[in-house]
Amino acid sequence: MIEAKDIQVVFNPGSAIENKALRGMNLQIPESQFVTVIGSNGAGKSTFLNVLAGEIKADAGSVKIDEQDVTNWSTAQRSGLVARVFQDPMAGTCESLTIEENLALASGRGQKRGFSHAVTAERRELFREKISVLGLGLENRLEDKMGLLSGGQRQAVSLVMATLNPMKILLLDEHTAALDPKTAAFVLELTEKLVNEGQLTTMMVTHSMRQALDHGQRTVMLHEGRVVLDVEGDQRKNMKVEDLLHMFEKVRGEEIDDDKLLLS
Amino acid sequence: MSLIAFLGAIETGLLFGIVALGVFISFRVLDFPDLTVDGSLPMGAATSATLIVAGVNPFLSLLGAIIAGALAGLVTAWLNVRLGILHLLASILTMIALYSVNLRIMGKPNQALLGEETVFTPFEKLIDLPYYWVTPIVLFAVIVVLLILLNLFLSSETGLGMRATGVNGRMAAAQGINTGKMKLVGIALSNAMVALAGALFAQIQGGADITMGVGVIVVGLAAVILGEATFSTRTIILATIGCVIGSILYRVVVAVALNADFIGLQAQDLKLVTAVLVVLAMTLPGARQKWAKRKSVKGAGQ
Repeated sequence: MIEAKDIQVVFNPGSAIENKALRGMNLQIPESQFVTVIGSNGAGKSTFLNVLAGEIKADAGSVKIDEQDVTNWSTAQRSGLVARVFQDPMAGTCESLTIEENLALASGRGQKRGFSHAVTAERRELFREKISVLGLGLENRLEDKMGLLSGGQRQAVSLVMATLNPMKILLLDEHTAALDPKTAAFVLELTEKLVNEGQLTTMMVTHSMRQALDHGQRTVMLHEGRVVLDVEGDQRKNMKVEDLLHMFEKVRGEEIDDDKLLLS
Repeated sequence: MSLIAFLGAIETGLLFGIVALGVFISFRVLDFPDLTVDGSLPMGAATSATLIVAGVNPFLSLLGAIIAGALAGLVTAWLNVRLGILHLLASILTMIALYSVNLRIMGKPNQALLGEETVFTPFEKLIDLPYYWVTPIVLFAVIVVLLILLNLFLSSETGLGMRATGVNGRMAAAQGINTGKMKLVGIALSNAMVALAGALFAQIQGGADITMGVGVIVVGLAAVILGEATFSTRTIILATIGCVIGSILYRVVVAVALNADFIGLQAQDLKLVTAVLVVLAMTLPGARQKWAKRKSVKGAGQ
């Protein structure tokens, strides 16, 4: 259970470019729920995700993971509870390390790191098994540098890395936005598979209304740093992209002029 | 070039190979340009020489130098990690401060080790070869041990975390790696190695001197870059061996250049030659690539 209560985040307070990114954001995510989060540019989606990850500290409010108050925990401290896949395929992996070294890094997430060898034969076997699920032939390239892989391949490996160890929540930060449509579909399918298999509590931020409705069990829409729409169950099942757009306009009382929201 | 001069070049190359490994940790593994080494090398030398003169066992004096160097590195990393001072500036501040600290350690600008036992003395008795063979052999053994230890560390869980910190700090933090701590440990380790080299240097040349650190960072960097330009960097093991090879290569090239009378270079030109060599080593691989590209584009057009 993830509980974000009255989160406020202000960038550059007191200056001319002051930006209230989150203005009292409330969200509860029950265990093994897959939530999609949507909103226009500047709605606060990424900021909220980063508050959950620990990269941005909330100026007010609290974040609880399984009743544990983690508001003041650093990213590294939270890593045992939070796994994430970044938007930029370059950001989630180390390009000058090999695939197996990246996987070894990820399999140390949330655990104490000692001085034993990081890539053991036993681990390599596990990595091979996990990575072969992707069907990309990467299981035979474990000793290749990560930088040799394409963006889609890297994102797929990032997903495997994120799901190697148990976590309380999986954060997906527009993780298909930088990929071409075909690769994006592949990565989404993989996401769905991994999330279902592990019954993972997941929050996926996306720019695409289509994606937001097609995946997960619940959709949350953010606007100006608040939740403006929260649908699940039958109401969501019968919802089309047009309905979502309509509701968005109704709630905000304004026309949407963000092409990305309309077209994707 | 005489055999003694050649072995001398190898000896200095091996010694600065230790420095190169330290510089490799800061510049390459952690992506932390650390100039502290200009201060931690004489610090190691000063600590070791002062301890030996005070009657401490020379081997124990090495330990003293290692601890002193590690502390110097900790200060630099702490200035950067905890106080948020730019890494380059933080290291320059420590370097400057160490100048005073080193004078304090010795109580004077230099400390001679004439007639004192050094860590090389027992080996001179043990190995039945002239002195100019013994030092390089001992240094070679030291560097092999250091290479093995360093590679074991860098391929361990913690070492991998350190490498990730340098390549992608954001990702490292998301994997639960305390990146600040990694920098503290890494820069301390780097300077401990450089101080060890300084201590050995003092024992080889018979004393410590306050000015012996000038330009150490450039020499170390020259070794790392030469190693990269001439040797493979495919794996961490090859890259670290490359640092040592680069260091030896650098010394041999310099010795040849200074020995060739027709070039007209003299000992005082050493630092200039070093700087030029670093510039060449840094730009030549890029130029070579460009040239290869131009050639292949031309080939495709035909």
